[in-house]
Amino acid sequence: MSADSDLQKPLPYSPNLPPPDFFDPVVEAYKKDVDMTLIRENLKLTVTERFEKHRKLWEFAQELRKAGQRLREGA
Amino acid sequence: MIGDGAAIVHGAARMTYDVNVVYARNAENLARIVAALKPYKPYLRGVPPGLPFIWDERTLQGGLNFTLTTTIGDVDLLADVPGGGLYEQIVPFTVELEAFGVRCLVVTLDMLIQLKRAAGRPKDLEIIAELQNILENRFVKQPNLLDSQEA
Repeated sequence: MSADSDLQKPLPYSPNLPPPDFFDPVVEAYKKDVDMTLIRENLKLTVTERFEKHRKLWEFAQELRKAGQRLREGA
Repeated sequence: MIGDGAAIVHGAARMTYDVNVVYARNAENLARIVAALKPYKPYLRGVPPGLPFIWDERTLQGGLNFTLTTTIGDVDLLADVPGGGLYEQIVPFTVELEAFGVRCLVVTLDMLIQLKRAAGRPKDLEIIAELQNILENRFVKQPNLLDSQEA
């Protein structure tokens, strides 16, 4: 690999900020409740598919919001 | 792209209602941004309708970070990101991806975690935990960023 191609590789993270694996006890407390099954399923998808999935969820959320609004207006 | 959109790229199970874009402030790029968003009627988000707001290069030149609403969704245009700095300073920490047939730059998972932490918002603690879990589990060794790659 040439020096030029090395330069073109993205740098993973900034040396001027705390490292991405910085230990924070509050974050650690959140970690145990992260649903890794959702993440594993997402990582099987392409980026476009991930956004399509997000769009469908967003539309679903909008429908729920509208249904709630109709319920409140009818009450 | 940074923010929760970038988190989705890296596999996070997250809902977001806006797209966070870091932009270069050279004249040519400002003109491109104005032209790209103009058809979607950009307007300042959260301000009363009817206030004078002209979407042009001069407006972009006169500000830095813009939180916009458009007919296709909310967009945050960021010139200076806490912890990350300007576009030129963030670009080295990005990877190129393709989505919807368009190629764009998205911050690396590592840098995204750093930016989320630098933002210092309590609401980000949960997503930092999620992103660190992705990082620690090394699911990202071979990120599936291009549509042309097999899922």
